[in-house]
Amino acid sequence: MARTVPRPEMTLAEKAYVPEIVKGLKVTMGHFLRGLFTPETLPVQSYPETPSVIPRNYRAKHRLMKRPDGEPRCVACMMCSTACPANCITIQAGESADDRIEKKPVKFEIDLLVCVFCGLCAEACPVDAIRMDTRIVALAADSREKFKVGLKDLMSWEPKDYPDNDTQSQKAPGGLLNAEAKKQWGIS
Amino acid sequence: MIDFDLPFLLAIAKFALVFIPLCLIPICIFMERKGASLMQDRYGPNRANIPLLGGIRLFGFVQNLPDGIKLFTKENFIPRGAHTFWYLLAPMIPLAVALLTPSVIPWFGPMVVEGSRGLATVSGQILDADSGVLVLFALSGLSIYGVVLGAWASNSKYALLGGMRASAQMISYEVSMGLSAAGIFLIVGSFSLTQIVEWQAAHTWGIVVQPVGFVLFLTSLFAETGRAPFDMAEGESEIVAGYFVEYSAIRFGLFYMGEYAHIAIAGALLSTLFLGGYQIPFMDTEAVRANLGFVSGAIVAAVGLSCLGIAYMVRRWARIYSRMQTTDAVDRKREYNILNGAFSVIGLGLLAVAAALMVLVHPAKGGLGAADIWPLWVNLGTAAVQVGTLVVKILAICWIFVWVRWTLPRFRYDQVMALGWKIMLNIALVNLLVTAVVAKLVKG
Ligand code: SF4
Ligand code: SF4
Repeated sequence: MARTVPRPEMTLAEKAYVPEIVKGLKVTMGHFLRGLFTPETLPVQSYPETPSVIPRNYRAKHRLMKRPDGEPRCVACMMCSTACPANCITIQAGESADDRIEKKPVKFEIDLLVCVFCGLCAEACPVDAIRMDTRIVALAADSREKFKVGLKDLMSWEPKDYPDNDTQSQKAPGGLLNAEAKKQWGIS
Repeated sequence: MIDFDLPFLLAIAKFALVFIPLCLIPICIFMERKGASLMQDRYGPNRANIPLLGGIRLFGFVQNLPDGIKLFTKENFIPRGAHTFWYLLAPMIPLAVALLTPSVIPWFGPMVVEGSRGLATVSGQILDADSGVLVLFALSGLSIYGVVLGAWASNSKYALLGGMRASAQMISYEVSMGLSAAGIFLIVGSFSLTQIVEWQAAHTWGIVVQPVGFVLFLTSLFAETGRAPFDMAEGESEIVAGYFVEYSAIRFGLFYMGEYAHIAIAGALLSTLFLGGYQIPFMDTEAVRANLGFVSGAIVAAVGLSCLGIAYMVRRWARIYSRMQTTDAVDRKREYNILNGAFSVIGLGLLAVAAALMVLVHPAKGGLGAADIWPLWVNLGTAAVQVGTLVVKILAICWIFVWVRWTLPRFRYDQVMALGWKIMLNIALVNLLVTAVVAKLVKG
């Protein structure tokens, strides 16, 4: 059964426009004076002068994780490119130098212009090799080609930019846990 | 041979007053943008700066400069199918009107000066006609032609819709505008704007004797200038941008500037009819002349104190800003130092000037030739004070326009028509009737 929602009846003062207009004027004037005399209370951030705080779990530009020796952790299993709804990951597999590992990517390219930043690639990866926690959100380049980022770009991150308790990142070269991890892996 | 005597030269010099509304345009635009942004809890324009002057941004005022440069250098686009001649002519009309209307506004009280042919009265209007206010109404009604013509000539249905709406609205509100102002003409008994102002100086402000008329007139002015809540000519949601949708670059800019010039004129008209025009509250022209030193000193001191206030706000904001972690800290610090220094120096300087004016200037009537009249410098000083007073009043009214625009939502079209014809017109008629009866009873 249809439910009738009665319209609120307007009082005489409301029907006369003017008192309500005065109320509205008061509200806007309050905001104006607040902004004029205490601009620091405005919920505004001067981007890009003041750095914006982006949480780690924000899906930003991708990065490829590194082994303790600096090689990509990716095993070129193609899971991510299969999962990618935008079909923007291009991987070319090659043979890995380490005989414990079968494959490694010789080409790993993400077209950031095509990417929809859904995060499915990071979800799909069986070895936690691809992550989207770089917090790089301002992507700019002057040609379409430059948005196709490759292995070099994706692996050009430093462990010191990541929290100390992010053990996987700290195992990369230069990280806090690198020496320990190298011992574990038996790499000198 | 033309006789270059004093009254004639003054009459020529008065033409400079025509440019006052034009000079007010950038201030109006600044007020609009800053007012809008602060009412919406944001900073507003603050990026444009002058690198050569230490990167000052003057609280966003500098934004006018790049805006102007952009408007002047963009492509002037003429849509296919537009009537080129009318299309090009239309944007000029609002601004031309804005340049013509100040000629009938009284900017200062009439002054008596001594010319080569004896004493002569120089009026504060450029065109001192008894029908001054009718000329003003006629001219400000003309500016709608720019809107309609531009809308029609640009061969776009959205523009046309905007133009139609604007013209219907403008015609409706012209009626109640004339009727609501008629009360004050009845009371004063004259159409001459100078006489209306002088009457207000002698008795009381028009807003006191005609409060209803004032509200109606203000509302009609909102409609007349096509400002929110009556900006029927525009309407982002339904007709894109309205009548100027096909205009670009400086032709659009002319419409834009015309709108603000129109507001300035509306402010001048409103303050002339209802707020005592060029009169300083509670002081008529003679009183200002007699106390010129004190009055001008007080005004200069007020300006100086506001400069010091601005300097204080700059220092306060600089302190807060230096605590934020920003990448432009060095630039901002330099800018705030410059602004603080400049406003402090100007403020203190103005206070010194004010003190000097109060102490040194004591005008006395001189026995110039035949009669006891004020010397020329007193007259000119008073005129400057009065022009300044009127400008302050105009700016205050412009601020009300901005304030109302960012408070009220736009009326629906049928509501605008209903308000105009069914409510405002009736109130205006009743007001006129009551005023006529009372005026007859009081004046006999
Ligand atoms: S974020 Fe989504 S769209 Fe982008 S590469 Fe990963 S899976 Fe593809
Ligand atoms: S899913 Fe992970 S391991 Fe597999 S190809 Fe993608 S990044 Fe490499």
